[in-house]
Amino acid sequence: MTAPLILAVPSKGRLQDNAENFFARAGLSLVKPRGARDYRGTIAGVDGIEIAYLSAAEITSQLAQGAAHLGVTGEDLVREMIPQSDERVVLITGLGFGFANVVIAVPQAWIDVRNMADLDDVATAFRLKHERKMRLATKYANLTRDFFAAHGVVDYRIVESSGATEGAPAAGTAEMIVDITTTGATLAANGLKVIEDGVILRSQANLVAARAAAWTKEQRETTRLLLDRIAAQKRAEAFSEVRTRFAGMNDGLLVAAREKFGVTSPFGGPTSSGMLTLHCPPGNVHALANFLREHGADAISVAALDYVYARDNPLYAKLAAELDKRA
Amino acid sequence: MSSDTETGTETRAQALVASYVRAGYARIDPPVLQPAEPFLDLSGEDIRRRMFLTTDPDGRELCLRPDLTIPVSRDYLASPQAGKPSGFCYLGVVFRHRHSAPAEFLQAGIESFGRHDKAAADAEMLALGLEATTQYGVGAPEIRIGDVRLFSAFVAALDLAPAWKRRLIKDFNRKTSLKHDLEQMTLATANGSKEYQGVLAALAGSDPKAAHHLVTDLLSIAGIATVGGRSVAEIADRFLEQSALNAPTRLPRETRALIERFLSIAGDPDDAAGELRTLAGDAKIALGPALDLFETRTGFLAARGVDVRAIKFATDFGRGFDYYTGFVFELQRGRGQRPLVAGGRYDGLLTRLGAKEPIPAVGFAASIDELSGNGGSGETKINGGAS
Repeated sequence: MTAPLILAVPSKGRLQDNAENFFARAGLSLVKPRGARDYRGTIAGVDGIEIAYLSAAEITSQLAQGAAHLGVTGEDLVREMIPQSDERVVLITGLGFGFANVVIAVPQAWIDVRNMADLDDVATAFRLKHERKMRLATKYANLTRDFFAAHGVVDYRIVESSGATEGAPAAGTAEMIVDITTTGATLAANGLKVIEDGVILRSQANLVAARAAAWTKEQRETTRLLLDRIAAQKRAEAFSEVRTRFAGMNDGLLVAAREKFGVTSPFGGPTSSGMLTLHCPPGNVHALANFLREHGADAISVAALDYVYARDNPLYAKLAAELDKRA
Repeated sequence: MSSDTETGTETRAQALVASYVRAGYARIDPPVLQPAEPFLDLSGEDIRRRMFLTTDPDGRELCLRPDLTIPVSRDYLASPQAGKPSGFCYLGVVFRHRHSAPAEFLQAGIESFGRHDKAAADAEMLALGLEATTQYGVGAPEIRIGDVRLFSAFVAALDLAPAWKRRLIKDFNRKTSLKHDLEQMTLATANGSKEYQGVLAALAGSDPKAAHHLVTDLLSIAGIATVGGRSVAEIADRFLEQSALNAPTRLPRETRALIERFLSIAGDPDDAAGELRTLAGDAKIALGPALDLFETRTGFLAARGVDVRAIKFATDFGRGFDYYTGFVFELQRGRGQRPLVAGGRYDGLLTRLGAKEPIPAVGFAASIDELSGNGGSGETKINGGAS
């Protein structure tokens, strides 16, 4: 038997649920043949894949080392934990969950600090006045250093934080923080505010591939099949199917509908009897239905799509190009 | 590298240090394992990724020394000699991640503390640095020098908002930032906080003391006490400073032209000093003691037999480290090559390491690898430390 493709998936909490739902929508149901406590799994009906259930941080380091081929993890962890991450991994696609921003937050009382230029000045003034540097508590030391360097801020010290970072200024262990936030509510509750241009990274869960993994022909083929399904599901999500048939439906009307509503006609223009299948962005279906009726349609059906397959496989094409570039 | 050349390198390095001992510098060998804090605090967070860090069982961060300036300074401060004039020399390994060169490499160098005849001490460092190149048979290395204090004296004399002055001085060591600052200051419209623009405008020109009270009162009414090390008074001060900053919202073209003219002055030290005097006269600003010290130092360099005409001075030459406060220099085989010897004056460092009184300090480090022609490629700066 050849070595399986290893797909690393978060082993607990919302991230695991979201990841499983994501794969389920693509028709890939993750199963644990030896029970729920098992840390190894498979995908029902797909051969050659082994699922490794790990923490998000473990997934990230396994990807960096090439011990897993693919993994689901946050971009924040990838950028923080893997130096020169673009040389070690490929971010194939955002997964639409696990959204979080990595931001710089300072005490609300700092009414004189609105942006990075202010922060830069305050940091230098603080060093000159107190003979020590301002402290910044964070779990994201690398992201912080790069961002601050890019903004020319030098007068600060990083204090590694493992627990509740947002409490550090109130506890007196740091002057400011870099942390993840989704709504900013926790920051506000701790008397902190995000500075205007202080968003270091807008992160979400990503499907990530490891450049250093052994990519055999079989493993690549398995990946191609996976990504084909994922791409088909993503495409399907972006459209609803609209069907109609009426004599007035002609090429001119189709061009107008394309311009107005962003529809595509995956199976070609209207037949001689005016039969047509359209793919329309879900937000535009009602307006499109009105438009078609104004031009003579009697009946229109709108349906959700499960999968839309196309000849190309953009996710795999991107990955293959990246892997070949390094080979 | 054969063991023969290795021994040769070692012998020559020992001979070099022996000559430093004869010149009156006591040999010192601080521990390899050092507390990480002073390096991170003084060299900036960027050095962290190049350091070898570890943690002791009590959670204190330790490192393999990335340079010897801070270790030697700490040993000096801990000794009974602290505060008195003392000079030390060293030869030892330092540890730093470098791209395509070994992370463990040899440095020799000198640190001189407590001498108040700064011009003479500066000149002596350069002369002793040249001994290293002679020892290794590098004939007539290129000598590049700068003087950070000239720039700070110049900026201090300009009619600029304090925040802008701080920024220019901070960015002196970062050429792209400095350029960016000048652009931004010339273009800057409302630099401050839009939502407080009205308040700031109302406060501009009012009695500073009263305005300060008003702002601190408002902050107290809002229930805001000291948060994370910055006091309410500090916040109020800078908030009000912004109203001053916003009054003339941009750097006058003439001031920018003057800064650029200053930064373009380069050449041999005597010609450059002449140009600086002319500039100071034209702009009616005083460079006073900073320029005097510069010229006295050039005199001492000549007295030590250094060919002053061959020295390449530039007003914008800094070594990229913020703790330099005056003279800085590098010796290299040729333009664009990595420095063989590098150093400078760092009068503020010992206070930041805990000295009660300011102690003048100057020093340099020589890269044994580079001198013996075994330097790897990669890092351009031989010295992450102060000297």
